[in-house]
Amino acid sequence: MSEQLQALQASLHQAREESSPQQILDLIPYSSFIGAEAKLENDAVLYWLDRRASNIGNPSLPAIHGGVIGGFLELSAAIEILYTLDVDLIPKVVDFSLDYLRPGRYKTIYASCTVLRQGKKLVNVTATAWQDNPDSPIATARCHFLIAK
Amino acid sequence: MDLKLAIFKPMLKFAMERNGHGEALGFEITKIGRGQVEMTFPYKEEVVGNPITGVVHGGVIVSLLDTACGTAAITTLTGPSITPTMDLRLDYMHPAEPHQPIYVSAKVYRSTSNVIFCRGSAWQDDPENPIAHCVATFMTVDTPSISLGNIIRRRFNRLVRGDKAYEREVDK
Repeated sequence: MSEQLQALQASLHQAREESSPQQILDLIPYSSFIGAEAKLENDAVLYWLDRRASNIGNPSLPAIHGGVIGGFLELSAAIEILYTLDVDLIPKVVDFSLDYLRPGRYKTIYASCTVLRQGKKLVNVTATAWQDNPDSPIATARCHFLIAK
Repeated sequence: MDLKLAIFKPMLKFAMERNGHGEALGFEITKIGRGQVEMTFPYKEEVVGNPITGVVHGGVIVSLLDTACGTAAITTLTGPSITPTMDLRLDYMHPAEPHQPIYVSAKVYRSTSNVIFCRGSAWQDDPENPIAHCVATFMTVDTPSISLGNIIRRRFNRLVRGDKAYEREVDK
């Protein structure tokens, strides 16, 4: 096992022990590129993405780029696996399906994820994003990840 | 030669490449035709998803394919409308090779008065061996007020008056 992999696994264990999903996010460069953050709230992980100019897709509305919403949900789903399941490798995304329900306005986006099924090789996760009210989501996503070595 | 599209093309390219996220990613739209778009994305360390392998995050592929399909959808419009994405479905066939550019192409295969159907593909060496492909559907919403001219006006204001003035305008 490479030193890099051992360091990654040590960081994952530490993040779980310290109940800090943010530490897992910090391992992935893409999360700071879009500005994703995470914390524990009521025993579940809450993900959020504060507004920033580099995430805008339509400057005239302005609206958050659809790809950012997708990337954020895919990232959140992967972190959910790494934080809640005993998985030691970064999960590989196999497929990703995203429904856009409302425009993502230029303010904080929140997300929560649920692992629906964990098999030996594949995990199915759903993720929901909202802004003002969790009952009016702006997007929902469903993805499969490969967790086998 | 499609004159209307010829005039519209550079504006569309500018709007897509120079919006906040497009600029941050730094892709280039290399071809725009009626219902057809091609793009190139150079590798970037900042968007890595797996720190061990250096492979870019899937979210980047989502952004690239959403942009390519969305741009292709816009080219099929005849009036001032916007085309918000309804849904986007991606299959990842194999991880992208790090430090190599990613090529993306998108094509509208059916355009109706309310819905535009599109498919896209992302590859590196061989278009026949894609990293990912997607299908996306777009709604057409007639919005005379949200014209591309409006986007360009705001963008121009931002360039001239700076980011702070832009933030204030956005907050209104």
